[in-house]
Amino acid sequence: MAEAKSADFVVIGSGIVGSLTALKLVQSGASVLILEAGPRVTRAETVARFRNSPERSDWMSAYPLRPWAPHPKYHPEDNGYLVQAGPYPYPAEYIRQVGGTTWHWAAHAWRNVPNDFKIRSLYGIGVDWPLSYEELEPFYQEAEEIMGVSGAPNTGSPRSKPFPMEPVAEPYAMRRIRERLAPAYPVVTNTTARNSRSYGGRPACCGNNSCQPICPIDAQYHGGLAAASAEAAGAKLIPNANVYKLDHDATGRITAALYYDPEKSSHRVTGKTFIVAANGIESPRLLLLSASDKFPRGLANSSDMVGRNLMDHPSTSLIFDADEELWLGRGPQSPSSINTMRDGPFRARHAAYRLDFTNISRVDSATKALIAEGVYGVEFAKRLRHSAAHELNVKSVLEVLPNPEHRITLSAEKDSMGIPKPQAHYAIDGYTRKGHERARRDYQRIAQLMGGTNLRYSDDYANNQHICGTLSMGRDSHASVCDGWGRAHDHENLFLAGTGIMPTAATVNSTENAVALALRTAHHIVTGK
Amino acid sequence: MEPRNSEKITSPCHRGRRLVLRSLLGTYTASFLPWALSQPPIDAGPGAFLALSVLLTARQSLDGEQAAHLYDALLADDPAFPSAARSLLSLIKERNIDPLHLQRVLDREKSPLAPLPRKVAMAWFMGVVGAGDKARVIAYEKALNAVIVSDVLKPPTYCYGAYASWTKKPT
Amino acid sequence: MRTAVLGVIALIPLGAQAVDSDLVKRGEYLARAGDCIACHTAPGGKPMAGGLAIPTPVGTIVSTNITPSRVHGIGDYSLDEFGSALRAGIRRDGKHLYPAMPYTAYANVSDDDVKALYAYFMQGVTAVSASPPETKLAFPFNIRMAMAAWNTLFLRSEPFRTDPASSTEWNRGAYLVRGLAHCGACHTPRNVFMAEKQSRELGGGDVGPWYAPNITSDATSGVGGWSEEELMAYMGRGDAAGKAQASGPMMEAIDNSLKYLSKGDLRAIAVYVKSVPPLRDTGDSRPAYGWGAPADSLESVRGAALPASLDQMSGPQLYDAYCATCHQAQAQGSFDGRMPALFHNAALGRTNTNNLVMVMLAGAERGEAREVLMPGFASELSDVQVARLGSYLTKRYGNPQATVTPKQAERLRRGGKTLQIVVVVQAATALAGLVLITALVVFLRRGSAKRASMRR
Repeated sequence: MAEAKSADFVVIGSGIVGSLTALKLVQSGASVLILEAGPRVTRAETVARFRNSPERSDWMSAYPLRPWAPHPKYHPEDNGYLVQAGPYPYPAEYIRQVGGTTWHWAAHAWRNVPNDFKIRSLYGIGVDWPLSYEELEPFYQEAEEIMGVSGAPNTGSPRSKPFPMEPVAEPYAMRRIRERLAPAYPVVTNTTARNSRSYGGRPACCGNNSCQPICPIDAQYHGGLAAASAEAAGAKLIPNANVYKLDHDATGRITAALYYDPEKSSHRVTGKTFIVAANGIESPRLLLLSASDKFPRGLANSSDMVGRNLMDHPSTSLIFDADEELWLGRGPQSPSSINTMRDGPFRARHAAYRLDFTNISRVDSATKALIAEGVYGVEFAKRLRHSAAHELNVKSVLEVLPNPEHRITLSAEKDSMGIPKPQAHYAIDGYTRKGHERARRDYQRIAQLMGGTNLRYSDDYANNQHICGTLSMGRDSHASVCDGWGRAHDHENLFLAGTGIMPTAATVNSTENAVALALRTAHHIVTGK
Repeated sequence: MEPRNSEKITSPCHRGRRLVLRSLLGTYTASFLPWALSQPPIDAGPGAFLALSVLLTARQSLDGEQAAHLYDALLADDPAFPSAARSLLSLIKERNIDPLHLQRVLDREKSPLAPLPRKVAMAWFMGVVGAGDKARVIAYEKALNAVIVSDVLKPPTYCYGAYASWTKKPT
Repeated sequence: MRTAVLGVIALIPLGAQAVDSDLVKRGEYLARAGDCIACHTAPGGKPMAGGLAIPTPVGTIVSTNITPSRVHGIGDYSLDEFGSALRAGIRRDGKHLYPAMPYTAYANVSDDDVKALYAYFMQGVTAVSASPPETKLAFPFNIRMAMAAWNTLFLRSEPFRTDPASSTEWNRGAYLVRGLAHCGACHTPRNVFMAEKQSRELGGGDVGPWYAPNITSDATSGVGGWSEEELMAYMGRGDAAGKAQASGPMMEAIDNSLKYLSKGDLRAIAVYVKSVPPLRDTGDSRPAYGWGAPADSLESVRGAALPASLDQMSGPQLYDAYCATCHQAQAQGSFDGRMPALFHNAALGRTNTNNLVMVMLAGAERGEAREVLMPGFASELSDVQVARLGSYLTKRYGNPQATVTPKQAERLRRGGKTLQIVVVVQAATALAGLVLITALVVFLRRGSAKRASMRR
């Protein structure tokens, strides 16, 4: 089959956002070409690799590293692909493969709350979005119907239509937590892209408890399914195509994407419109790599904002032993949370946050801890069962404010393809730290309500790979990279999609926001509205 | 990270080892622990490994095939393993060290044998042999940490049951 | 969608008959037993409005509109005409139906039941004013007249006769099985003229790429070893633990028809089926569900790298990657039985492995909501992988004599488009017979005409 070298739309990145954007565009009758740096993968081989991984707790071990499309890897040691310039590390994980990173996610699919769109106007911090909740609402709904999303009603995000299905059944452990924390803390079922019944030809969840890194039965939606649907609809997808530069003409119109195949031969693809959806680190990297005489700071960067305002949702946590047997590990990995601290006047002073209860099995972590402690014999079995039955973990999902000093730049180091590596400059601000202090008091209280002992706090800010801000949308072309529809201020035929265009992070995992924005972008491209 | 190809366990050497381990296990129960410790090992390496395994896992019975695989992997990972195992076993016998205190004693004395119990424990409880790039999974579903909780939990990636089967209180 | 709507119960335009809602209800139940809806409804179409295109080797047969529409359906049929179509295969205009319509089985239906069915179709089904396309087969299959000859040979035209020596229950079961439920349409092999071989009742038959197994009373090759309860569970739910799970066309029959039957009727069917003369298939040494035990090949999988080309994955590796998640490492199934064990499972115990391959490719779905009981792996497994995995499964957990080949997988994949209904083979085989009959009739006619002309 002859390779398509030109198309109406060239989409860079085949993750959930790139693929769904491609799907919408190809359905409108246009020709669409998706360029993906990494290879095709199958669900089955990922399951097999996970079971054979000697370091199962490193979820990335199920996704082998390919030298022609490197991504960050931190275990057993940091491969140095994402250079850490500090002062605080930003060790985000992401996967360069067809379908991208959502092959391996917990399927959280929350909407923002309406106030998340205007925290500057309301609270004097951060920035306002160049659109309102109401304008995004129909696209949230569309995203939820594509992905098969369900959740508790009334968690602060108004709906015009119901979820496509009922919330996922609550694990016993979560029910007990909910019962014991009420009324001090209302625990709700998470809003997730996980099947509570057969949907889209895919079965309902059967409790594999391995959502991260892989759902063995596709009960949760992911980018692999999105890519398959785009291809089935007629989009052409070229895997193993590492796009390293975008070319432009004298007027600044983007004219071509250049990519390396695994043998490092260069290929050129032309198109009328280009959409960069290569995640919040690789997308700004590509724009910076595409610097030219006309655009010495990189493409779409007259504002100097490309790569800046790097955000995430860091997590601090508490592990403790509850006073009753709960047995985490039965059912999906991330079923319940507390959502009462997502919004309020306190946001003028400190970060908002969610509190997530994990349902990930404790068995492996307890095993390693006991062996490290030198516990064997009869004592081992007794203590393993005790930890497996009693141990709980509550973590925060903290908001981070946009700060232009926190950014992705190009490193002086080069990767295995000879391309400058991405480099992260990051820190945790006082705003977020104060949010954590508040959350820590919640952990304490929660442990109390659960009769907790053996409290183990983690005050480190763990990365959650919700990579936002680096291509911030906005009305002011001096202070943002693209407009409310993702169109680059500087290039009429260049659109940006993904979590990178979110100008603030809010408190929810970013995928649903990014998908809704992308659907709105596609709608705008197709209809002009 | 890809595990190395497992050695095919077909050589006479391996088969013989298997036989030994199986026969030793055939006559063993937990109550025969003193017996196991007092037997002159037929084949010293596997015998010592088996005695250590019994000591550290305190299981009523151990799977002979699994023992053979783990032993082969431990040997491949470190050719000095059999002699280290013999030394540790002798040490335990001589000084009558309780498994409860074993690791603490070895760590405190900075014994060169200190890594050994952890190796054997990782092999049986996690099903993993070797470290870093050399680490390999020998067992997952049959690793003892999965077996110990198998009345309530399934190893991750395996279906728990029908949809909503996780809502019930575990019995 | 496919649920017939007891919509507008209106007075029949012909004559001032009062609506007898009990009769209509009884008719609805009987229509369920007869599974009319399966053929006479197109996917996504209105109930009983026809339009299902049934592919056969001789052309596509399109099911007709049997709603009470007077122009497009059977609204103008009298009770007699309805009975004639149902039991003799003759339309109101006198034309013959192709035995894709199983009138040879419906010939058993009693007058009382015809009356109830008539009432249901006239008053319980919503009229739909649209005609599906006409069935247009190529010559000579468009000669419906030849069906008359075929019927002469193979149509038993009397309704069912009770056997006074047998129990009421047995008779009810015989009435249903031979009649409305038309089990033999799939489960009975056919003769050279492609009619059901009555001497081998329920002895097994091909249904396109699927195989409808021997369900005679033989304890080894049939269902002699099944209890009545197990048969009822299978018919009612599609699942009999330690025996078999339904998929493909049988699951459709359960979904559209059998699951609606009363416990009494299901038991009657079970009683009858367990009395059908036993037929032993050569080569069967034990029942299909009698093979296998819990086992695993984890030693060869754990710690072994996947091959560079996934087409080279071994049987145990394929099992680990594709099957073990639900069927568990030792094929023991989930503890609540929702995911069945693979040993002691008829799916792996037959020497004919077509059904095994079909389930691997197409999975199993249930109900209108299309609940995914098992996903299909057609888009994930190559023919080579299907063969290697299938043969590993039968060897490890089933009948070790049974094998799967890549060619078989390829063939089934092509002919294996999951059909809405079961009648492909009925139609195909009946029409093949039609060719022979037609040729015979034409030949005989020509012969007699010649002789007549010679005599002049």
